[in-house]
Amino acid sequence: MNAPRRSPIAEALFSLGLLAYPRAFRARFGAEMRDDFRRTRTVGTNPSGTLGTLGTLLSNGLKERAGAARRWAFFPNHTPHLYEPSGRHFMFWDTLRADIRHTLRLAVKTPVFTSLTIVALALGIGATSAIFAVVNGVLLRPMPYRDDGRLVNLWSFNTSENRPRNPISPANFLDFQKMNTTLDGLEGYFTFVTPTQLVTDSGTEVAYSVFVTSNMFNMLGRTAATGRTFTMGEESGVVVLSDGYWRRRFGADAAVIGKTLSVSGQTLQVIGIMPPDFVFPYAGMLGPSGFTRVTGVDMWLPIAFSGPMAVNNRMLSQSGQIVRNVHWFGAIGRLKAGVSAEQAEADMMTIAAQLEQAYPATNKGWRATVVRSIDQSVGTIRPALMILLAGIAFVLVMASVNVANLLLARSIAREKELATRAALGAGRARLARQLLTESVLFALAGGLVGMAVMSWTLRGLIALAPADLPRISEVSVDWRVLLAAGLTTMLTGVLVGLLPALSSASVSPQASLQDGSCGTAGGALRRRARAGLVVAEVALAVAITTGAVLLLRSFVSVTNVNPGFDTSHLLTWQMNVPQRLTTPTDRLAFYRDFFARIETLPGVVSVGGTTRVPLGSTSVTTSVQIEGRPVPAAERPEVQFRRAMHNYFAAMGIPIRRGRTFDPDDGPTAPPVAVINETMARRLFPGQEPIGQHVRTGPGATGPWTTIVGVIGDIRHGGLEEEPQPELYINYLQGPPVSPFIVVRTTADPALMTETIRAEARRIDKNLPVYDLRTMSMLRSESVSTRRFILLIVGAFGVLALGLAAIGVYGVMSLVVSERTREVGVRLALGAEPSQLLRMIVMQAARLAGIGVAVGVVAALPLAPLLDSQLYGIRSLDPLTFIAVPFVLMTIATLAALVPARKAMLVDPLTALRIE
Amino acid sequence: MDKFRPDTFLPLTPVAFEILLALADGERHGYSILQEVESRSGGTVALHAGTLYRALARLLESDLIEECKTSPDPANQDERRRYYGLTSRGIAVARAEVVRLEGQLRAARTRRLLKGARA
Repeated sequence: MNAPRRSPIAEALFSLGLLAYPRAFRARFGAEMRDDFRRTRTVGTNPSGTLGTLGTLLSNGLKERAGAARRWAFFPNHTPHLYEPSGRHFMFWDTLRADIRHTLRLAVKTPVFTSLTIVALALGIGATSAIFAVVNGVLLRPMPYRDDGRLVNLWSFNTSENRPRNPISPANFLDFQKMNTTLDGLEGYFTFVTPTQLVTDSGTEVAYSVFVTSNMFNMLGRTAATGRTFTMGEESGVVVLSDGYWRRRFGADAAVIGKTLSVSGQTLQVIGIMPPDFVFPYAGMLGPSGFTRVTGVDMWLPIAFSGPMAVNNRMLSQSGQIVRNVHWFGAIGRLKAGVSAEQAEADMMTIAAQLEQAYPATNKGWRATVVRSIDQSVGTIRPALMILLAGIAFVLVMASVNVANLLLARSIAREKELATRAALGAGRARLARQLLTESVLFALAGGLVGMAVMSWTLRGLIALAPADLPRISEVSVDWRVLLAAGLTTMLTGVLVGLLPALSSASVSPQASLQDGSCGTAGGALRRRARAGLVVAEVALAVAITTGAVLLLRSFVSVTNVNPGFDTSHLLTWQMNVPQRLTTPTDRLAFYRDFFARIETLPGVVSVGGTTRVPLGSTSVTTSVQIEGRPVPAAERPEVQFRRAMHNYFAAMGIPIRRGRTFDPDDGPTAPPVAVINETMARRLFPGQEPIGQHVRTGPGATGPWTTIVGVIGDIRHGGLEEEPQPELYINYLQGPPVSPFIVVRTTADPALMTETIRAEARRIDKNLPVYDLRTMSMLRSESVSTRRFILLIVGAFGVLALGLAAIGVYGVMSLVVSERTREVGVRLALGAEPSQLLRMIVMQAARLAGIGVAVGVVAALPLAPLLDSQLYGIRSLDPLTFIAVPFVLMTIATLAALVPARKAMLVDPLTALRIE
Repeated sequence: MDKFRPDTFLPLTPVAFEILLALADGERHGYSILQEVESRSGGTVALHAGTLYRALARLLESDLIEECKTSPDPANQDERRRYYGLTSRGIAVARAEVVRLEGQLRAARTRRLLKGARA
């Protein structure tokens, strides 16, 4: 025979491949197989090459393993002799089976302990998984677009007013689209939702539309579920419906495709229905201005860059050019492969600089910003969700600590059992392993029950969540959530079992089995472990409660903010005047009649209207030119622009500070007048008399000068925590709007008036759609809904944490007392006062709690500033909070220790000593 | 104990049958089985070690083969090798399989499936 040509690499590979087989199999046949492999190679009879051999080896090994596992699971008493229990190789599984059996027996014997443990773990794991599901759905899941990681939003950066995410003007958008070198497509959309009027036989209703460039759906990589989306360059006459609207309005009738709808004076053919998961744009992609706060989209219309629709949408200037000086376009694009968002931004900056040179009159000071679309959509909620995730992690750790405590207590009770086992030859590792198996089994049971808890919690969270929480409708349980839940469960199981396992492994059988020693052998280590658990628990509770109290205090300070007007007894809605009223004169006549009729309704105190209602709408700004202060157009200050209708200021309860408000004499032919708020007076006319000043508005600013006749108090427009902006009002008689917000001050509860209002509106005109009918108190409450949601959850965490800490201290101190019964008995027998004993026990608890509080405060100090994004009106290192929370925790810990301490006081010395 | 019934093992997998065949004329070690199967089939049946030893494990479990304590040929003793031989059960099962295959072969012949295939 030839001398073997050995190939160490092939042999090593073969040995690796052998690992696919169960260990017992390897031990039995491995050497032979290796030998055979070597021989087949040397004599060159290897039938299919080394790779083929390895493949067969792997697949056979895995099959063998699967077969062995199947037999182990289903026919444990029918194990073939290769895998006989007596063989050392299957010890692992046999031990496991024995441990599981033992745990189940114990669990059934102590039902209360078992169910308490499982419930505690289920609550912890379930709640954690639910919060993670929210974080997953909102932050981690891909957005419903193809390859969403490459999508970016492009904004104009208004450097003079430092607004980095300003919408773009249509002409600039087209230039960015043409000139960029870093994007695979850039598409535009209007950064607001338009309440368009759908005219049907039964009257006019509102449908919320968004205008997008015709290639938008293709760029996003989505097609219609039924029908088609816009073709390239298709700019009018067609509409795509959202799935929700199609179901709601058309009863999911596929025959709607091809039908025509009359939308805001145009006849549009329905060409497609998008899939249910499609969302565009997300609320975060919309701009600050617009007509409505509604962000759900009913239909998508194509943007026209020429023709009558372009004129309608004010896309064209008077000279017929596409507008460059008004900014209302959003843009979303796809990064070319390998291009980063930063590179794209540099590209856009270059283009912006070129445009600035080419069109200085309109583009001076305008740069560009590129933001990843996922950040654009959910960036605002990310910090809040991260706080929730951190909070729940703390609660989970606390629940685990409590369970660890329970298990530790039980392991003390079981000391003799464990000692007997040790005496009979069980090694430390063996004992520790049994205890770990127990805790992991508990965790698994907790995890299973926890899945039910998660499903309920998740449903509750989604129901409670404010509707404007981005992507909340996309939250559901997917493989990531299940994986996280599984990992949480295993980790919890191991963490919970580690301490009891470690401390029990050090049991000394001799000491424990000696008669009369009531489990004091492994004492020192275990006492330290227990003290550590109390300290950890109190510290965690301090940290969570501090966060919850900070959020509570800022919630209170937000709700206490005076919005600048009286929110009680106010009803508000939006409406679109009938389309046939095309001229200002027609509309004025309509409004005169309208206000007269609403005013005479019973229960109405006063009525007015505006183009942007505070807390309930978006905003719109204009640039102002002040007479006698010549500045270039691009540097004129921007102010919020509103129209006041009828008795608006009186109905809202907005105070007049100087001068007067509008009166009926300020009609269409009278000299134009304006009212400004205090902030505008202070900013634009510092140290001057604003009354009588002349201003002109708009980008052109060529009309007649408007005279300021009055100054009103500041109001909070965007939200209670938003600082008032400069505001300028003109009188609606000098420019009647088409879709105003109406406000009505009522004598009784305004919610009771809604039906009266709707009925009256129908009587006035059947083509007068009334929508977003709400009371101002609802709007006020909604404006803090996200804050309230976060507070509610973190508050629940806080309460849970306090409860868990109390239970933890109580549990540990009870244990301490029962362990020290004999000592207490001796002390009492020697004449100690019961009250002294009480103090001794309580002081011990207080000492531990004191350390915990100190650790908690030290930990909370650097953590608190992370809450800054959520705080309003207080500092993150709020002294009151940092004094009150430790005080409360100390009190709770002391109270929790009182119960077991009283038990110690009542110990009968005779009984205690007789335990021997 | 139940009576031993060879037919409960039928049909044998091709690999198992090949092993029983190879062991019919005496005890062999694993590599020898591989060689025998390959040479007898003229190289058309290629047995991998991975497949062989799984089949051996099953046959051992079922007591159709056994591990022999001594080598059949003391002159060619290889200390590292284990030798396998048929048990009485193994012989019974192999016979039952042969009978079964014969029956199939007969049926194939009467249906002229093998016409021309046998030269």
